[in-house]
Amino acid sequence: MVTRRTFLGALASTMLPFPALADGGPQPEPDYLRERLAAGKLPKMADRLPTQPRVVNLSGMARQPGVYGGSLRTIISSEKDIRYMTIYGYARLVGYDEQLRMHPDLLETFEAPDATVFTFKLRAGHKWSDGSPLTADDFRYWWEDVILNKELTPGGGALELRPHGNLPRFEVLDPLTVRYTWDRPNPDFLPSLAAPQPLSIFGPAHYLKQFHKKYQDEATLQSLMKKARAKKWADLHIRKADRYRPTNPDLPVLDPWQNTTAPPAEQFVFVRNPFFHRVDENGRQLPYIDRFVLNISSSQIVAAKTGAGESDLQATGLDFNDYAFLKEAEKNYPVKVRLWTLTRGSRVALLPNLNCTDAGWRALFHNVQVRRAMSLAINRHEINMAVFYGLGHESADAMLPQSPLFKPDYASAWAQHDPEMANRLLDEAGLQKRDSDGIRLLPDGRRAEITVETAGESSVDTDVLELVTDHFRAVGLALFTRTSQRDIFRSRAMGGRILMSIWFGLDNGVATADMNPSELAPTMDDQMQWPLWGMHYLSAGTQGVAPDLPAAKELVDLLLQWRAAANFEDREAIWHRMLAIYTQEVFSIGLVSGTSQPILHTAKLQNVPDKGLYGFDPTSYLGVYLPDTFWLKEDA
Amino acid sequence: MLRYIIWRIGVMVPTLLVISMLVFTIIQLPPGDFFQSQMAELRAAGETANLQDMEELRHEYGLDKPLPIQYIYWVGGMLHGDFGYSFEYQLPVSEVVGDRLWLTVLVSFTTILLTWLIAFPIGIYSATHQYSWSDYSLTFLGLLGIAIPNFMLALILMYFANVWFGVSVGHLMDQQYLSQPMSWAKARSILSHLWIPVIIVGTAGTAGMIRRLRANLLDEMQKQYVITARAKGLHPLRALIKYPLRMALNFFVADIGSILPSVISGAEITAIVLSLETTGPMLIKALQSQDMYLAGSFLMFLALLNVIGVLISDIALGFLDPRIRLQGRSTR
Repeated sequence: MVTRRTFLGALASTMLPFPALADGGPQPEPDYLRERLAAGKLPKMADRLPTQPRVVNLSGMARQPGVYGGSLRTIISSEKDIRYMTIYGYARLVGYDEQLRMHPDLLETFEAPDATVFTFKLRAGHKWSDGSPLTADDFRYWWEDVILNKELTPGGGALELRPHGNLPRFEVLDPLTVRYTWDRPNPDFLPSLAAPQPLSIFGPAHYLKQFHKKYQDEATLQSLMKKARAKKWADLHIRKADRYRPTNPDLPVLDPWQNTTAPPAEQFVFVRNPFFHRVDENGRQLPYIDRFVLNISSSQIVAAKTGAGESDLQATGLDFNDYAFLKEAEKNYPVKVRLWTLTRGSRVALLPNLNCTDAGWRALFHNVQVRRAMSLAINRHEINMAVFYGLGHESADAMLPQSPLFKPDYASAWAQHDPEMANRLLDEAGLQKRDSDGIRLLPDGRRAEITVETAGESSVDTDVLELVTDHFRAVGLALFTRTSQRDIFRSRAMGGRILMSIWFGLDNGVATADMNPSELAPTMDDQMQWPLWGMHYLSAGTQGVAPDLPAAKELVDLLLQWRAAANFEDREAIWHRMLAIYTQEVFSIGLVSGTSQPILHTAKLQNVPDKGLYGFDPTSYLGVYLPDTFWLKEDA
Repeated sequence: MLRYIIWRIGVMVPTLLVISMLVFTIIQLPPGDFFQSQMAELRAAGETANLQDMEELRHEYGLDKPLPIQYIYWVGGMLHGDFGYSFEYQLPVSEVVGDRLWLTVLVSFTTILLTWLIAFPIGIYSATHQYSWSDYSLTFLGLLGIAIPNFMLALILMYFANVWFGVSVGHLMDQQYLSQPMSWAKARSILSHLWIPVIIVGTAGTAGMIRRLRANLLDEMQKQYVITARAKGLHPLRALIKYPLRMALNFFVADIGSILPSVISGAEITAIVLSLETTGPMLIKALQSQDMYLAGSFLMFLALLNVIGVLISDIALGFLDPRIRLQGRSTR
C-alpha cells in the first residue's frame, strides 16, 4: 500500500535527477577549500558529494542560486546556544520544507507504510565531515551499542522509540538500508526525526568507538577519561557524541557548518563542511557561506548590538518590542529587517492553574463556566492595538490560519469581548455576592483576588496584564501581578502556589495532523495550567496526580489514540477532536496570536525570505528556510 | 604585635567556618537545585529534558544526599584545594574562573586608581574651601554620581560611545579579539573599551570617597594643633599635608579590607549590562542557575579575601597611627 508519506518520500527523491542538472562540466570549488584541495588533503567536489546529492531547486523556491564565500556574524547569549547552528543547519534524516511537507534530507528515500515499518535508504557515497562514509553501520552502532547499552541509556531509550512500551525491531537490510519495525503504529517517529532537536538514532561509529567500553581497551579509555575529566566512560561518550550542542570540534557531523572551537570560549567559529550533501540546481555544493562566527553577549544587549550593526544575521534574542529600534538601524547600517510570523498558538496566554492548592479557587477553575467567563471578560482588540500595534490576531489559544488544522471556530471560541455574558456566567458559578468595591466574593467569603505570575522576562507580559486588570475589574475580579523568576516558576507551579500565570500559548500553532498533539493534553510538568497532571503522564504515574476532570482525561485518551493511529485521516480526526475540546473548555486563555518576530540580516545577504514562520517546532527557527542557501552579494 | 597577628589569624578559622555555613544555607534556600532549573531552562527553549536523566545526574553528583553531608563534601574538598565542579560549564571551578580573573583585576585596579586620582584633589579642595560655591558644585556632582544607578549610566554611556566614537557595544574588547591570544591590537581594543566600565563604576566610588575625605579632613583642620601651626606661620599647604591629611587617611587604610574582594568580584550589575568578560556576571549566573559549587566556592573566595583584607588594614593602621591600640579595650 502506498501511503501519503511513502508517496511524498519517493516523489521528492525522483523529481530532480541530479546528473541532468549539472550543466556543462564540473562546478568551481569554494575558494575556502582551495588550499586543502591543492595540498591533496581533500578530494574533488564530485568525490565529496553523495552520488545522488539532495538538489535544492532555488529558482523553484523563488530564490536565486548564489556564489561561494563570506562569513556571517551572529550573537548568542550563552555557550549553550551553539545549538542554533544545528537548528539552522537543519540536516535531518527527514525534514520539513517551507510548506511543512516532509521530505527525505540525509536519507535518499524512506518508506513508512501504516507508520509501523520504517525503511530508510541512505545516499550512496554520503560522507561525514571527516570524509568517512555514512553507512548502516552508524545506525547499527547507535542502536546496539548506545540505545541498548544500559550505561549509555539508563532510561531504556527515548519515549518516541517506545510509544507503546516496547522498543522497535532494528534490522540492517544492506549497507545502505535500515529498518525499524514496531508492532503498532508509531506516527510520532518521523516528526521526531524532523524536530529541531532530533531524536538520535545514528552517530559516527568510526569516531565514537574509541570512547566506547566495548571497543576500547581499558587503559586508553582511562587516559581519555582523565584528559576529559569524565568520571565514567559513559559521561565521556555522551559528551563527545553530542551532535545537538556540538561542543566537541572533533566530532564528525553532517551539518552544513561544523564547529572549530572548544568551550569555554566567548566566540565560536563554525566553518563549512566540505562533505555536505546538498547542492543547488547548478550543481554547486552548499552551503554558500564559508563561516559562521557566533559571539556571546548577555541576552540584555543582543538587540542593542544587533541595532549597532554588529550582527549579520539575527533572529534569536530579538523581540517585537525591538522592532522600532532595529528599523532605525536600517538607516545607519546596511541591514534589512523583516517581520516573520510567530508560530505560537498565542503570544500571550493566561493559564489558570487547575492544580493550585487553594481549594476555593481550584473548584472555581475546574468549572468551565468560570474559565469561559474570564476569557469573555478580556478585550483582546484593545490588547492587540495597544501592545502589538494591531499586527496580531485576536484569538483563542489554537492553530494559526497557516495550519491545515485551522478552523475559525477554534480561534473564536469564547474569544469575543462580552462582559455581560461573563458577568452572568460568574453569577451562575456562585460568585454573585460582591463587596462595596464591586469585587465579587468567593463562596467562602474571601474577595475574588487573583495573583497572576509572570517570569518577568518581557515587558510585553506586564503591559498586557495592566490591561487585563481593568478588564477583570469590570466583571468584579481583582487581578494582581507578581513578577517571578523562570527558574522557580516551575517548582512554584508544581507546588500549586501559583493561581494563574501568563505565558505563551501552544508552542506549535502551525501543526499538521502528522505532528504530535501532546501539547493539547496534560503531558508535561511545565504546562502551567495542569503541572501535576502533566507530571503524572510524564512520570508514567509515579509522580503527580491523575487528571480528575473528564475533559482533561479525554484529551489524554485521544492523545493515546493518536499515538497508535495508522493513517492520516484518523490522525486528522483526533487532532480536530482535541482542538475542539481544548478551545471549548478554555484550558488556556489565549489573547493574541500571529504576532511578529523581527529578523535582521545584512543587506548583502540574499535568499532570506521576506515572510516566514518563526518558531522552534516545527520550523526550527530559520532551519526549514535553509540558511545554507543564503549567500552574500558583494555589490548589493 | 606578633601575638596579635597570630590571634587574629586564629580567629579567621571559625569566622570562615561560619561564613561557609551561611553561604551554603543561602545557596540552598531557593527551591529546587541546578538540575531542576536546568531542566526548566531546556524546556523553555523547547527542548526535551528527560526526568530520568535528571534523577540520574542528581544521584551522580550527590545532590540527593542530605544537606549536611553535601556541606561536608564541599568544605572538605575546599580544604585540599578542590573547589568543586561547575555543572553549568562542566569544568572544575578553578578553570571556569581562569581568564576572567585577570580582566576583572584589570578593570577593578584601573577603577580604583581613577577613583583615587579624582577623589583626592577634589576631597582636599572641598575641605579647604568649605561652603564655597565650588565646594557645593563639586559636592553636587559627587552626589549625582552616587544617585544615578550604575546600570543606567552604563546604558547611556554605551549608547553614546557607540554613536559618537564607534566603540562596539558592550564587552571589554572588539568581537574579533575574543578568544585570541594577547597582541598589541587586542590590548588597544581593550583600552578603548575599558574607559566605559571604569567611569561607570568609578563615579559612585569617587563620590563616596570625596565625601569621606572631606569630612575627615574638616574634623582634623579644626583641631588646635592645626590652628597653632598656622598661627606660627607654617605654610598652609605644609600645615595641611604634614598632619591633618595623614590623620584623615585612616579611613582610607581601613577601606583596604573591602577593596580586596571588590577587585576580584568586579561590579556585577554593570558588568552584566555591559556584557563584560569579568567574574561578576559569572557569579550572578551561577547563583541564578543554582550552580552551587561555582557560586559557593566563589563566594567563599571573596569572604576569604575580605577577612584577609580587614586583617591587613588593621595591621597597617597599627603601624601607621601610634594612637591605635591592639587590645581594643575601652579607653574611657
